[in-house]
Amino acid sequence: MGPTLNRRSLLGAGTAALGAGAFGLATGRPALAQTTVSLQLSWLHSTQFAGSYIALDRGWWSENGLEVSLLPGGPNAPVEPPVVSGTALVGISAADYTAAAINQGAPFKIIGVAMQKNPFVIASLPDNPVNEPADLVGKRIGMALANTPVLEALCTLNGVDIDGIEIVPTQYSAQPLLAGEVDCLLCWETDLPVSMAMQGVESLTMLMADHGYAVHSQTYIATDDSLANRRDELVTLMSGEARGWEAYRGDTDAAARLTLEMHPDAGLDLETQMLQAARQVPLMFSGLTDANGFGWWTDETVAANIETLGLLGQTVTPDLWDRSILEEVHGT
Amino acid sequence: MTQTALDTAMAPTINRRGRAAVGPVLGLLAVLAGWEIAARVLTDAFVLAAPSEVLHYLVANWQLMTRALGVTLGNAAAGFVIGNLAAIWLAGIALVWPRSEGVITGLALLVFCLPLVATGPILRVLFGPGPGPQITLAAFAVYYTTLIPLLIGLRAAPESWFDLVRSYGRGRISTLVHVRSMAALPYLFAGLQIAAPAAFLGAMVGEFTGAERGMGVLTIRAIRALDVEMTWGLATVATAVSVLVYLAIGTLARRVLLDDPPVILATPAPTGRRYQDGWIDICLVLFLALGSWAGSIWLFDLNPFFAKGPQDVFDALFLATDAAATRGTIGMALMESAIFLIPGYFAGLVTGALLAMLLTLVPAIVGTAMPLAIALRSVPIVTTAPLVVLLIGRGALGTIVLVAIMVFFPTFVACLQGLRQAPAQVMSVFDSYAAGPLTCLLRVRIPAMLPAFFAAARMAVPASVLAVTVVEWLATGSGIGSLMALSASLSDYDVLWASVVLVAALSAFGYGLVGAVERRVLAIYAPEQLA
Repeated sequence: MGPTLNRRSLLGAGTAALGAGAFGLATGRPALAQTTVSLQLSWLHSTQFAGSYIALDRGWWSENGLEVSLLPGGPNAPVEPPVVSGTALVGISAADYTAAAINQGAPFKIIGVAMQKNPFVIASLPDNPVNEPADLVGKRIGMALANTPVLEALCTLNGVDIDGIEIVPTQYSAQPLLAGEVDCLLCWETDLPVSMAMQGVESLTMLMADHGYAVHSQTYIATDDSLANRRDELVTLMSGEARGWEAYRGDTDAAARLTLEMHPDAGLDLETQMLQAARQVPLMFSGLTDANGFGWWTDETVAANIETLGLLGQTVTPDLWDRSILEEVHGT
Repeated sequence: MTQTALDTAMAPTINRRGRAAVGPVLGLLAVLAGWEIAARVLTDAFVLAAPSEVLHYLVANWQLMTRALGVTLGNAAAGFVIGNLAAIWLAGIALVWPRSEGVITGLALLVFCLPLVATGPILRVLFGPGPGPQITLAAFAVYYTTLIPLLIGLRAAPESWFDLVRSYGRGRISTLVHVRSMAALPYLFAGLQIAAPAAFLGAMVGEFTGAERGMGVLTIRAIRALDVEMTWGLATVATAVSVLVYLAIGTLARRVLLDDPPVILATPAPTGRRYQDGWIDICLVLFLALGSWAGSIWLFDLNPFFAKGPQDVFDALFLATDAAATRGTIGMALMESAIFLIPGYFAGLVTGALLAMLLTLVPAIVGTAMPLAIALRSVPIVTTAPLVVLLIGRGALGTIVLVAIMVFFPTFVACLQGLRQAPAQVMSVFDSYAAGPLTCLLRVRIPAMLPAFFAAARMAVPASVLAVTVVEWLATGSGIGSLMALSASLSDYDVLWASVVLVAALSAFGYGLVGAVERRVLAIYAPEQLA
């Protein structure tokens, strides 16, 4: 909620009160408290956001006067609208989605980059491996048609002829690979390969980020308005995130256990979550973050992102990234 | 519309308990055996879990399932109550002020035709965190299927009853209490029965917009993790609950309803309507729809980044520099969807009508077929769509089958009821000439069935649109369902809103088209059915 009283906050408070009164559905969140903010996650609760759970659990936000609620996402929950409308102070998006939103007129900045390396991989099985982009030629790749620009960008970056690859439209599942309908999948390092490992199938993954596909992922976005007027809250929020993710890195198994403890109804499996948590670490931490701190970027990484985003059809300028909050967090 | 069809269909189970009660058991056993065999054959395909595996999963995770079920069922129940109360309220307005009926049903239809894929995120922004979208989508999913039968029911009494009330010098209130509400009850119960699985589906899809817990949350998790036991476990629980609620409402209906309702063949039209009233109503509906659309954006102060008004959509489709490209993209997607939707729609209608006729000719199998049909319809499409598509392929067949399943059941129930409404006197005449069951079916029952069939065919239009968009969104990644999901994730809200408008308008147009066909067909084959 914004600090000013407008039609929506009045109506919102009205409907909230009505709803709570009529159905006893109060969320337990104190309404309209100045220090209450929300962080809109990009997916359902899982170790993908375990750094935030650690910060919440250890009181690293509340001790600085900020009460943070973590709002789960889902397949039908775009992150940008709640951030634009003020329901969430910060949202977790990705550079390509944020660029698309900017080009549709959204007033966003990227204020932190959790995943330094984009998690997109080409997953294949050991007897028919894809170790580098050139291996894709002559293969059947299972992917959502919506991700065609991603494959096109990878091919352009590596001089591979995309016409040599047979794209088989599949839903987001490892099943077509296991059933032999395709030779490889376009997916995330941290989900389908983990599911396959849990089914006892070891797969090979080729990280697209290692072959020039530079798109910051799990990026923190905030509106220009929040950057101008709610800096303290942003700094406190991002500082808790940085601490939480450093703690996560120290013990990913503990982070996975905490995830299950805090979200017993999410239907998570501990072993799967531990594996996912461990596989996520190399994507999030690098020499760059070791030297400068969690979430960091440089002009060079931004330039690489702008180039890849251009291949994806999104033209953006370096202004999209605003490092001022991180600089305050890390005291540089 | 589908009034007491179930009562009559289930009657053998009640009346001739000894023989007919075997039917449902046989049906259930057949399903379980076929399921187990199929799962064992397909064990390496990672798409089907055997009943034994599902049972094992449910026993091991009963606490998780119970908590998730509690949340989703609670939201579905709240939406069910709100949606049905809204339907009763709207029907009340139409009764008190008959001139408003066309506008009310028109607006209600438009809202009912709004695609879930697109309304979910908008509701999430309106409500913020919490169960708001889940409850609202559940309410959206049920109100229309209650409103329409109720409107018919409130008038479905012989004129002589109204005369009787008038002869006692009593007014409209007495008519409402003593005649109309009594006449409407069977129709209300029929609507409530159909509403139960729909509310559950609505609540599950609502969870896709971001929820802490519930059956929908677990479904997403299960599908992503390739956990077939969990997926089929969820589908089993959701189906079982929907069937139980369905049967419970049926039982309640039989307790409450003392007599069979009088048979009214035709839907009595509101009195004093003229041809041009229809066109005035359509204009009023359009005017009010556009007005409330623009009005709510202003009232809720929605950000223009994602909230596009009528002017924005018009600009995007006709005035913007890329308007032609936008029209092309949406047009292509709509064509892709139509290729799946239309065969599925007709397959569902034909299967439903044929099965109803078959059951009329061979009543002995009613007890077996009916529970199967209810179960098939109650499986939440969001749980099984991705698996069905994996199982029978992402070509046309998978989508067509899922659309047909969504259309089949309401058609079947309506036709079964329609076939039973053949006038007894006419049947006696045929009997006295020793006409066989087939002759009776062709010459008496089918003409008597036509209004019910067409009512179902109309309602099936929005249902098939729901099915095709959900399958495209969650499984096949093609067509308008996928375009809407994709444009939401890429913040292309112009395309999203334009798609929503076109889908809703085309659904309403399809509904009207079926109505027009209905009038032509009835005029030829069953003129007595036209009031």
